[in-house]
Amino acid sequence: MAPAGVVDDSRTQEMQADVAAALEQRRQRRYLVRALLRSPTFVIGVLIVLFWVFMGIFSTAFTQSPLAQHPFAILQSPSAAHWFGTDDLGRDVLARTMAGARTVLIIAPLATLLALLWGGIIGLIAGFYRGITDDIIMRLVDVLLALPVIITSILILSLFGKSLAIVIVVIGALFTPVVSRTIRSAVIGEREREYVMAARLRGERSAFVMAREILPNITQPIIVEGTVRLGYAVFTAATLSFLGFGLGPPSPDWGLTIATERVDLQSAPWTVLFPAFALASLVVGVNLITDGLSSVFSK
Amino acid sequence: MSAVDSQANATDAAPAAALDVRDLEVTFHRRGRDLPVLKGVTLHIEPGEAYGLVGESGCGKTTLAMAALRYLAGNGTVDAGQVLVEGRDVSTLSEEALRKWRGEAVAMVYQDPATALSPAMRIGDQVAEVFRYHEGLKKAEALERARESLRRVALPDPDATLRRYPFELSGGQQQRVVIAMALAVNPHLLVLDEPTTGLDATVEAEILDLIEELRGRIHAAILLITHNLGLVAHLCERVGVLYAGRIVEEGPARELFTDPRHPYTMGLLRCAPRFGMNKTDAALQTIPGTLPALGEPLAGCVYSARCPMAKPVCTRREPDLYAWPSDAGVKGAAEAEAMPPDPVAYSPHHASPVGEAARHARCYFSAQVPEMPQMAPVVGASLEARGASSGDVLEIKAVERTFKDGRKRLTAVHDVSLNLKHGETFGLVGESGSGKTTLAKCVTGLIAADSGTVTFEGKLMRSTAGRRSQDALRAIQMVFQNPDSTLNPAWSTRAILTRSVRKLAGSRSGSVRAKVDKLSADVRVEPRFLLQKPADLSGGQKQRIAIARAFAGDPRLVVCDEPASALDVSVQASILNLLVELQTSESVSYIFISHDLAVVRYISDRIGVMYLAELIEVGSAEEVFNPPHHPYTEALLSSIPKLDFDRRLQRIPLRGAMPSLSEPPTGCRFHTRCHRFLGDLCVQQEPPIQEAVTGHTYKCHIPPDELLAAQLADRPASPVEA
Repeated sequence: MAPAGVVDDSRTQEMQADVAAALEQRRQRRYLVRALLRSPTFVIGVLIVLFWVFMGIFSTAFTQSPLAQHPFAILQSPSAAHWFGTDDLGRDVLARTMAGARTVLIIAPLATLLALLWGGIIGLIAGFYRGITDDIIMRLVDVLLALPVIITSILILSLFGKSLAIVIVVIGALFTPVVSRTIRSAVIGEREREYVMAARLRGERSAFVMAREILPNITQPIIVEGTVRLGYAVFTAATLSFLGFGLGPPSPDWGLTIATERVDLQSAPWTVLFPAFALASLVVGVNLITDGLSSVFSK
Repeated sequence: MSAVDSQANATDAAPAAALDVRDLEVTFHRRGRDLPVLKGVTLHIEPGEAYGLVGESGCGKTTLAMAALRYLAGNGTVDAGQVLVEGRDVSTLSEEALRKWRGEAVAMVYQDPATALSPAMRIGDQVAEVFRYHEGLKKAEALERARESLRRVALPDPDATLRRYPFELSGGQQQRVVIAMALAVNPHLLVLDEPTTGLDATVEAEILDLIEELRGRIHAAILLITHNLGLVAHLCERVGVLYAGRIVEEGPARELFTDPRHPYTMGLLRCAPRFGMNKTDAALQTIPGTLPALGEPLAGCVYSARCPMAKPVCTRREPDLYAWPSDAGVKGAAEAEAMPPDPVAYSPHHASPVGEAARHARCYFSAQVPEMPQMAPVVGASLEARGASSGDVLEIKAVERTFKDGRKRLTAVHDVSLNLKHGETFGLVGESGSGKTTLAKCVTGLIAADSGTVTFEGKLMRSTAGRRSQDALRAIQMVFQNPDSTLNPAWSTRAILTRSVRKLAGSRSGSVRAKVDKLSADVRVEPRFLLQKPADLSGGQKQRIAIARAFAGDPRLVVCDEPASALDVSVQASILNLLVELQTSESVSYIFISHDLAVVRYISDRIGVMYLAELIEVGSAEEVFNPPHHPYTEALLSSIPKLDFDRRLQRIPLRGAMPSLSEPPTGCRFHTRCHRFLGDLCVQQEPPIQEAVTGHTYKCHIPPDELLAAQLADRPASPVEA
């Protein structure tokens, strides 16, 4: 009987221990979350971005169809029927502006994630191994950094065709060098720390040290870098579609809309200005999140 | 009152105290919580007096200094009390007056000289700025005054120093510049906050001498803040001991250190290894428990939780600062017994010292303090019983390591050979940059030696850890210096130990948990701390976990690189005891690196002394610390500020700065600074390795008998020529 009792005891102890550890972790996370929620910058940024995410998904439930044309109501100025006016095909600008968030909000986050993934791997390897590996990788990164983002992406898109997937991959690839630099410098700060030496002394493989020892300690710079890149990715995606390298008409995408409607800028400025403001507000929202995060992290 | 009036008051009328802190209460506000840091601190420094404030980390020492100069950080507030400097209430000064006052009447020297100097300005411009700003001098005049002030702090070649940037100076020279800047304004009050912490022993001694020498000339009152009791004993007339924001004892330095009347002072004095003490003599005394966290509520006497003589009355009400010798404490205890218990509140009017006596102690039982029970752990097996004779466990032969720094080549370890017996502790001493840590890392494989061999238990070790077998890694482990970075902050303590056990002990998963529990029990970390991340552990606990990690695979050699240097005295003692105890139970050998000679003497069986990448002396701890020994060792030993008031060695000053590793001096590497310099022989020829007695060798031209005679002649008993 006694042995069974001992086993049970140690099991319950283990369970209690695990529960306590989980509680402790949750307490620390809760502190960060509370600090973020107390930062007005962060909260406003999140509200703006959430607004556009919501619109990107559900806008058609509230507005008219962004594609519906009203041939008898073209280029009408804002009114009770059409709050943001109508465009040259009589489409509701409000509906198009709200729905236009969708493509940017698909492209930008995915491209950013790709850049974080690739840049993370490159930065970890360069920063961890240093020496000749680092030299070679970072010189290549310098070369990539010297390429002008827009021109390069236009060339690649012209070469491979302009699908959404390719746009994502191209933006992700072009942002990789910058990300890898940030992550490399964070890794260099960590690799000389004694816990990394201790890991080497117990014979851990390099991959383990990079992924399990170092990576968890550089999440904050990675998150901040990610939000910075996200802002730029929104910009780049809009620019590419403005230049005709995104979706084609009749998509309500902001960049595309600004490009096609700009001929009416003087006579019907609402057709261009509302999507332009929408784009600007999304970028501002992302940047506010970045500022909020970095100020909470740096405390 | 205008500045002129107060000046007049200070000189003509009854002289006001240089610093008069009355019932000062300071609270920090952090994460929405109020943390009281100073609770009714009262102290008094007369003009020209040196007052030492001692205490361990987090007791409020620096906060007191900051509050005194009105430099408190934004989240700290003075809730009550007053700070009067030369009779003026600091809190009433306007911003402008404050700035002027800081420039003219008070000065502060901080712990880290590197951060006190602007890295982008030449030394001359920085020092001259003080004169230009505060005295309105022209640039040329100011530079001239700067030159003078550098000469005053005995910086060699002031003209060259003026043109240098801070990074071109050594730590000791930087601290001299900072002191020169502080003295430039002829302050009436000089605050020194850990002025020598982080500096090497010989440099510390130089700075100490400088301050002592300057005291005769500048007539400034000094507030010296430090955890180093020896430093205070050396410099100060009066001492205050701070614990958890309270002055617990105060009095003249000599009396307080020779006859402490508060259990905390007694504990502090007992737990630092006395010089010359060895682990075979006795285990170190410790102070049980841990330092209270900032703002932690403490019942009754702040020290009662850790006090070996605490009685129920101690937690009933807090004792006042009673005059000693007197029976005030006994009366206080009787009063406390009579009054209703009120462990939390304390009465502000009692914060001040009771009575005008020279000595005070915040204890009901000051009379019993000399008989305070000893708090040393019982060490099981006798240390003598260890079989330290059975052959060499480690043999290092002609190890060499050079680093490249731009075009320069810095040889950090030059031709070092040594061997280590089974179960032995080999202490490695030397100043920073002497190559101790590089040598240690060559042994563990964290740094690859360029040439030379490391043989462990008869097997040749690969030069890097990555190429060593798992067996070899398990056998040689390391304990690092910095408790804050030695553990992965993202992992729980249990995860850290579990991983080490998995990798090093290779146990089946069933027994891993048991092994982790045993390890943590061995290093006396309570199981509940295993759930925490390192950030929630104290420095001592982190270091214990780091030790447990090193012992996960039952190592046979553990390299300890300053394992206790970053810890408070009371914690340091328990870590050293733990290492000694583990050595007995696990029969492991140590390489023990430390700059603290008393600690090395305590823990080591044999000692090696390194200077400029070379091992210049090896011998038993006893032999190395007594003549005949290398002149460098002699100088090093003379530089430690000791608590001993009666037997002070005459300090041997080392000339000049440590030469660069890229261009070590010819002949004997120590000849540029040696006080027993013989002349051309030392400059031209590399000294032979001489044997004083079997097993004790040193690298010097002077033969053992001559060296012994010369060194005995210079002992303090006989008159010493400067």
